[in-house]
Amino acid sequence: MKKKTSTRQKSEFLWGWIFILPTMIGLAVLNFYPMIATVKQSFYKTGDFGKGNIYVGLENYNRVFGDTEVWQSLLNTVKYAVIEVPFSIIFALLLAVLLNKKLKGRDTFRTIFFLPMVVAPAAIAMVWKWLYNSNFGLINNVFHVNVKWISDPNLAIFSIAIIGIWSALGYNLVLFLAGLQEVPRDYYEAASLDGANGWAQLMHITVPLISPTIFFVLVTRVIGAMQVFDLIYMMIDLNNPAWKKTESLVFLFYKYSFDQSKKGYGATVVVVLLVVIMILTVIQLIGQKKWVHYE
Amino acid sequence: MKKTISNVLIYIVLILVSIIMLVPFAWMFLTAFKTTAETMQVDPFVIVPSVWQTQNFANVIQAMDFVRLYANTLAMVALRILFAVLTSTLAGYAFARLHFKGKNLMFTLVLVQMMIPVQIYVIPQYVMVSKMHLTNTVMGLVFPGLVSAFGTFLLRQAYMQLPRDLEEAAILDGCNIPQTFLYIMAPLTKSAMVALGIFTAVFAYKDLMWPMIVCPDNRATTLASALAKMNGQYQQKYPELMMAALISCVPMIIIYVIFQKQFIEGIATSGGKL
Amino acid sequence: MKKKALAMLLSVATVLSMAGCGASGAAPAADTGSEAAAPAAEAPAAEEEAEPTSIGSSVEGELTVTIWDEGQRPGLQQIVDEWSAQSGVKATIQVVDWNNYWTLLEAGATGGELPDVFWMHSNVAQKYMENDLLLDLTDRIAASDKIDMANYYDGIVKLYQSNGKQYAVPKDIDTIALWYNKTIFDEMGVAYPDDTWTWQDFADAAKKLTNDDHWGYAIAPGNNQEGYYNTIYSMGGYVISDDKKKSGMDDPKSIEAVKLFTDMIADGSCPDLATVSETAPNELLCAGKVAMSINGSWMLAGYRDNEYAAANCDVAVLPYTKDPSDRVSIYNGLGWAAAANGKNIDAAWSLIEYLGSKEAQIKQAELGVTMSAYMGTSDSWVNSVDCFDLNGHMKMLDSKLVFRPYSRNTTVWEDMMIEKLQDAWTGAKPVEDVCKEIAEEMNKDLAEE
Repeated sequence: MKKKTSTRQKSEFLWGWIFILPTMIGLAVLNFYPMIATVKQSFYKTGDFGKGNIYVGLENYNRVFGDTEVWQSLLNTVKYAVIEVPFSIIFALLLAVLLNKKLKGRDTFRTIFFLPMVVAPAAIAMVWKWLYNSNFGLINNVFHVNVKWISDPNLAIFSIAIIGIWSALGYNLVLFLAGLQEVPRDYYEAASLDGANGWAQLMHITVPLISPTIFFVLVTRVIGAMQVFDLIYMMIDLNNPAWKKTESLVFLFYKYSFDQSKKGYGATVVVVLLVVIMILTVIQLIGQKKWVHYE
Repeated sequence: MKKTISNVLIYIVLILVSIIMLVPFAWMFLTAFKTTAETMQVDPFVIVPSVWQTQNFANVIQAMDFVRLYANTLAMVALRILFAVLTSTLAGYAFARLHFKGKNLMFTLVLVQMMIPVQIYVIPQYVMVSKMHLTNTVMGLVFPGLVSAFGTFLLRQAYMQLPRDLEEAAILDGCNIPQTFLYIMAPLTKSAMVALGIFTAVFAYKDLMWPMIVCPDNRATTLASALAKMNGQYQQKYPELMMAALISCVPMIIIYVIFQKQFIEGIATSGGKL
Repeated sequence: MKKKALAMLLSVATVLSMAGCGASGAAPAADTGSEAAAPAAEAPAAEEEAEPTSIGSSVEGELTVTIWDEGQRPGLQQIVDEWSAQSGVKATIQVVDWNNYWTLLEAGATGGELPDVFWMHSNVAQKYMENDLLLDLTDRIAASDKIDMANYYDGIVKLYQSNGKQYAVPKDIDTIALWYNKTIFDEMGVAYPDDTWTWQDFADAAKKLTNDDHWGYAIAPGNNQEGYYNTIYSMGGYVISDDKKKSGMDDPKSIEAVKLFTDMIADGSCPDLATVSETAPNELLCAGKVAMSINGSWMLAGYRDNEYAAANCDVAVLPYTKDPSDRVSIYNGLGWAAAANGKNIDAAWSLIEYLGSKEAQIKQAELGVTMSAYMGTSDSWVNSVDCFDLNGHMKMLDSKLVFRPYSRNTTVWEDMMIEKLQDAWTGAKPVEDVCKEIAEEMNKDLAEE
């Protein structure tokens, strides 16, 4: 008997490694080596075209801490995330609850809400840029207001976050709908008999029961929002007065690494981002114990 | 009575949200057929073009080889799906069901990869592609998607949910590990594979930075990146820009509407749980 | 479930610590990436000696030509095709927009794979030349019967020289001129701009041309060559000292030149920063929203192909400050360069030689692609379109031509300047303060180069 187990163990060891090998080799080559190379680069002042790099130790990191541009862009990124993540989750959750009822046209609504997911980000950015245009845009002209949506430094990042919500809504919604389908209907029936209203049902049945899904969406959305780049890259340029107040960390990385060819410093910025994301993820992992209920 | 009122309210909310979701698309469509002057006319504000400028379509089609861009995009998406599903299924199964030394460490690495901003990889990956002379090729586009940490994670979750006794029965029947995997377990995770395929497709399709860097040639690149480049090139022809955006969206929207059931169910079955 | 969370936490902690030691441990491995580029760059030299290939031997080769201006592609492709017909080598032009162009080149240079033939620009030429990334053309030019550097505008020739070697053949020259909307001028009863205008006349006219429907002039805040650089030099100021060590932005005359535009924004004859940042001045001109726009000659294709602009707009020389002799055009010229480690450098040179020849340079002007760098060919350019009187641009060649200010790493201080000037355009800070800040920062950047 013992011998058999060990054959089985050997075989599991062998096949286990064979099965994970393609993935692990791929990750090593595609992700871990590049990551290490980038981290290493953050300790260097890079010369032109990757040649003549000078080791500077922690100098880049010292500079980051004193660099107002980095802190400003971290703040911008956080502002974006603080708007995009909660609202895209709350709206999606509420819509999912509404769509979870037996309604005519349910699939149509679901299809419409998901539409932004299948559109290239460049197309999204282009059309929103025009909708937001303060002189010729649809929004200002239909509502007869004069808001500088994407060029007012205090407002622009939030306007961009709105596009973020618009884009992510359908995706979150579909995940929530899937989660809701697993909630037994009789829970609600029982609650109705007890006189619980819709709000109470939402807070006491729906949310706790799909809390693992909410948690998943939260973690992935936070990671995604902290890496925001495409939208800002396409909507804001150097001429824009809101430039400094909309630059995200990834944008800054892009600017340093490519526009200004300071790859070492760019690498430092992206390592800072990595640390921030990890801290946020750890906080969420600790926090989940308080509110996420697995069956 | 109460129920009817609440249903009406629900419809009002849903329709309002639908309008918000659709207005940008409608605006894209309308603007694509305007003249530049019309796009900047505010008094009176032009919503519907006075004359539908169909030559915008002709101009854009002439300037950009959409057929080729679509072909590139589809080839990239298809290959990425193939590689991601293949490698992730194998790895996902091993991580979920097999016990072997080093497993936890390796799985940790997979999780870590998911947290790292992709921008970290871009430059070294580019150098590799460049050294292999794969710039401006479909394989160059596919390269970062050869394996998928997210997919591995997703498939692992799917295998974890399968009951133990299936496997035990297979072992009793004398199946070895590859047989158990291939004949018993893998077929049961089809929906997770579909989900992974869809995720891969959506994210590969929307990816911008990588194709811009690795395939600068307009004939070799993807729709998303060609479109982003147009943004900088056709400044004073805004309607044509919108036309290009429209042409890039419409086929995707059609594909999506046709397959929306699989699409949405695919994403839904991923379960979305950590 | 607690267990799961704990496990993940631990794993994160492990990775964090791993990333720490990985950085030092993997140092030698990562280093190879940068070193590998060096031998790659040397390789072509050896190859060249080994087999002095004629083009014929590598006919099957195909050259990639990379540029950043879509407007110029059709015309240039026509010229390139003519070369292909002669040489039997196919060459296709790909267009990458300005921002991505430099990203691509930078990445290509780092990875050792540049396009075969491409445009060089004053912003970065020095850096590319010093790093031996560009094919040294000196001997080839000396041996060529088609190319003589004396035939091109001097500033452009010099720009692509480093250590006495020539790395690119001048492609074009540009001048800046005043584009205007005739219809708006007629409507407001203002005489069209001519060579008697001073910058003050320009500002006064802008005021008169402004009403609820349109502005007199729109500034391109991010494009110094099509804006305040011209006035700075016209008014006697400077942007960078000749030795490229000192900024001239705090020079009182430079400050005055910037003020010309801030005053226009303040009195409403130029749209505010928000407006021009959302809608570029050339878009505004093409939509009849602005009466005047200062643009480079490279905009020709864009305006020519825009129906509204073709029907309503025209172009005149830039104004002067005190005397017609201080009429300034900030000019720049691109160069055709080849990758030092290209796969087919002989073919690449042959193409560059053709593109620089009088024949191709005239053709480039005739097709209305751009003004050519070959002196005496701009007449063909003036006749390339009917809808505009391009003498406005051509006469600028006779004005004081000032080469666009640059240094080794121009982008760094240029971007900084654009960012800081925003406070001047919006009026958030006095122009003097902004310019002084810029000068201070720019001096620091220049010291670092």
